[in-house]
Order: sequence, then C-alpha cells, then structure tokens
Amino acid sequence: MSNEQATLIESWRVRNAAATTLALTEEQMRRAVRDASIEELVTLIETFAPARSAGPEWTRTFEPLVERLWTWRDDETIATLAEVFRSRGMPWMAVTNALAPERGVLTRTTLRQPASARLPAFTLV
Amino acid sequence: MPQGLNVWEQVICEFPGHYARDGEQCGRKFPGPDEHVNRFDGPAWNVPKIYFADHDPIEGGSVEGRLVRMNWAIAEGDKAEAYGLFLGLARDPANRQRLKDAILFAGITDLQDTIINRGGYQNIGHKALRARALIDIADYLGWDNAHELFYTVVPDLACSPRLYGLWTEISNICRMEFPEHASIPKRSDKPLTERELDILTEAIVWGGPFDVNAAIMGFFKRGAGILDVGDAVIACFQRYLIDVLEHPNAFLHPTHALDYMNVVQSWTRHHDNPHQVKAVFMGARFMNDTIRSNANFPRDPTFTLEPRQNHRVWADGIAIGRLLPVLKEHVLAQDAPRSCALVDSYLERTNERHDLLDTITYAACHWQNDPHVMRNCASSLEEFRHNRTSRRDDIVRGFVKHQARYVKRAPTHDCYQVYVDYFKPANA
Repeated sequence: MSNEQATLIESWRVRNAAATTLALTEEQMRRAVRDASIEELVTLIETFAPARSAGPEWTRTFEPLVERLWTWRDDETIATLAEVFRSRGMPWMAVTNALAPERGVLTRTTLRQPASARLPAFTLV
Repeated sequence: MPQGLNVWEQVICEFPGHYARDGEQCGRKFPGPDEHVNRFDGPAWNVPKIYFADHDPIEGGSVEGRLVRMNWAIAEGDKAEAYGLFLGLARDPANRQRLKDAILFAGITDLQDTIINRGGYQNIGHKALRARALIDIADYLGWDNAHELFYTVVPDLACSPRLYGLWTEISNICRMEFPEHASIPKRSDKPLTERELDILTEAIVWGGPFDVNAAIMGFFKRGAGILDVGDAVIACFQRYLIDVLEHPNAFLHPTHALDYMNVVQSWTRHHDNPHQVKAVFMGARFMNDTIRSNANFPRDPTFTLEPRQNHRVWADGIAIGRLLPVLKEHVLAQDAPRSCALVDSYLERTNERHDLLDTITYAACHWQNDPHVMRNCASSLEEFRHNRTSRRDDIVRGFVKHQARYVKRAPTHDCYQVYVDYFKPANA
C-alpha cells in the first residue's frame, strides 16, 4: 500500500466521521426546530438582520436554515412566521419571500433524495 | 459641474441624479410627487450654488515640499490649501508626472475599512476614480484647458469623510512583514499558479479580511510582482460576479471595488511609487468587504437566476458568425443566463475577443443615467487587455454578467437614440 492510498483511506475515514457528527447535529437541530414556539423561531430569524447578525458567515446560513424550516415545520407555522415579517415591511422582504408558499413547494421538491440517503439534500454551507 | 456629479446637493434634494432619485427618494418629498415629470431624472431643478469659491494658485518653495504639503492638506481636510497647491504645481509641465502620482496616491489611500452597516459614511473608491478621471481628461483636453476639471476634483479629495483606517492597517502589515516592500518588482517571472489563484479566489469571495491579507502576503513573500498579484485579484474577483451575484442591486458595491482596483493597476502600470504594493492589499480587501457586506443580508429567493448551463446547448447551436448580434439582443433584454451562456460558448469556440468585447460594450452603452455602467466597461476592457493570468477570459464572463443583470437607473434609451439619429451606426 503506497503512502498515497493510506492518505486516501484516512481522508475518507475523517470525512465519514464528519458526516456522522453532522447527521447527529442535524437530528438535534430537527428536534429543536420541531419543539420551538413561534416566538422562539422569530427570535432566531431576527438574528439574520444586518444590524444584529454576527457577521456574513452567520447570515450565509440563512438559506440552509430556511430549508430546514420548510422540511421540519408545517405550512401553517411558516405562514404565521411569514406574516410576522411581512408586517415589518421592506427591510424584511427577503425573509418574507423565503417563507412564501411557492418557495416551500420548490424547496421540498428539490431536497428529495434517493431512499439510500439518510438526510434530505440540505445545503451545508 | 457635470450633470449628476453634484452629489452633495442631491442628498438634500436640490439637484437631479441617482443619489436624489434612488437613494434619497426625493421624488416623494417636498414639494411633493409630480405625476408627469421625474424631476430628479431631468435637467437641474435648482441653479447650483457656490459653496467653495475658486482659489489662486499657491507657489513658492520646492516642488517636493509642495507635494508633501498638498497630500497633508488633503488628509487634514484643508481644501483651500490642497487646491491652491495643486494649481500652482500644475502650471509647470515639468511637475505634472509627479503631480499625477501624488493625486492618485491621495485618492487611493482614502478608503473605508468596511462598508458593513456604515450607511453613507464611506468613500467606496470614488476619490480614486475621480483622481484617475482628472488625469485622463486633463491629458485629453490639455492641462492648460482643464481648470474647471481641477476645480471639480481636487477640493473634493479633501472633503469628508476622509478615512485612513485601512491604509493604516495595511501600512503596518507591510512594515512588519516586508521591510523591503518598496523594492518588490512590478512584474516577476513567478506569476500565480492555478493553485494560488484558487486560494486567492477562496479568500476574496468566501473568506474574511485576514484570509485576504495572508493570501496576498504569501504571494509577495515567495517573489510575485505587484502587477502579477493585482492581475490575479482582478481575475479571482470575477468568480463572485460569475457564480454568486443574482440580485441586480447587489452588483453596485462589488463593482465599485473592481473599478477601484482598476485605478490601482493603472497607477502601478504608469507610475513608480514605493507604496504601490499596499494598494494591491487595499483593492483586494475592498472587494472582500463588499462581498461580505452583501452576504450580511439574507438572500431574497425571488431574485434567483436560472443557471447559465441550462442554455448552453441552445448557445452552442448558434453559428459563431451569427452569435454576437444574438448576444447584443440578450444583453439589451437583460437576460443574464442566456447572455452568459452565449459568452461561455463563444469563448470556447474561438480565440476572437475584440468583437466580443465590442458587442458587450456597445450594448451596455444603450443605457443612460448611470455612469457605473460605462465605468464597468472601461475597467473590464482595460484590465482584460493587460491581464496576464490564465483566467483572463473570466473578466469577459464577469463583464457580460454585470451588463446583463446590474440594476438599470432608467428604462429608456433616449441618449442612444440621439446618437443613432445623428451618426446612423450600421449596427443600430
């Protein structure tokens, strides 16, 4: 076995460990999102406003979060969230649009994976 | 005063232009909306007032001493002293090359460290652009015929805000890491490798400010030249235009950074100044900051662009000899996915570039009321001509994406029609 092959196996092992960690994290997140109240979800989404954001690295995770909201919560909850942000006007238009029903249909369709996949095709970063 | 350049009276709704119309929404303010005329698109609403009278030249003392005094006066906001010294120095043709270098240095070093959550308190490269414009136009008109141009530009360099935080940071980094930075060559025999271009792209588009500093520092430390790295900064930035940008409004700040970097490269190409290596850091940091500023806003999915790859088969089916007129029509229709697919196809099928760039530029020049459109043309054309990286064609890909997607300030082509009426171009 050459050094290159050993490195390849090691790399795949590390990748698998990272995937396992990520899958467990997603499961914890799924339970947290499922159990959250409307107020708690609003508070989470508010952290993506430019003045409150911890920075671009945080705000870039908005779309991955929206994918998970559409996957793990029902239409009624999302519609309630959308109304909260629609009532706040233009600065929250991007958030309101991300929570519009047609986005939900599109998101849920594109996230479908083959049966062999453990998770939907979520955006990671 | 050229139409639209009186930015200060635009922000108090006393002069037309895109600051008044778009930024300040003056059409909705006193004396109220006019249903038939957009007063902030038209001719001057109020006669401009003079806030800063013209001044006499300041002469006497050595040229070196006056150049130093002029740069200090600009940095300290003393418009009268800076302007007077400039006028005095500009009188003697023997001083003009050094004066050009000094005025570019003043414009380039005055740049905000971030635009994130800063609102209007920023310079966003305008001072560098104006300094470059002064030189190009004065050279064209003749310096003895350019007094009004000097009056427009030079006092403005000393206006607030004057921001030297980024310059200070980069100067310190260079002092600590490259004590001999003044001797870094403009070109080397060690341009950036493919791997290094990937590292720089990752730092500028997805990294933070210190990632950008570290990447550029590494290239200089291993012997790359100033223009080698500057070319790479221009080329790597294009991936943001090509792959990431979607919302028409979001092009505005990043392409200001591209235009700023064009001034930096032009300064380095035409002048010798021991501080030029710092300007490459500043341009890359400016690009990275505007990208991070855009990323600080949640993405609006209603502005999602269709992938250009969806139209590649269609583009490849158009004969190469017929492709450019089709491209022009799709740029004019602001159809970015098809325009980009056409350019991808063209670039892979032929080595011809002149007519391709000409087509994009001609289409772009149909739009009026926004000099950013033409400035992007100038930056893209000039940098494509000089760029020596293996990714030079990405400048064309970024250029067409910008021209087919960036928000347009006016939907009509009245100025272009005047041009057609008078000059009757064959391709109208």
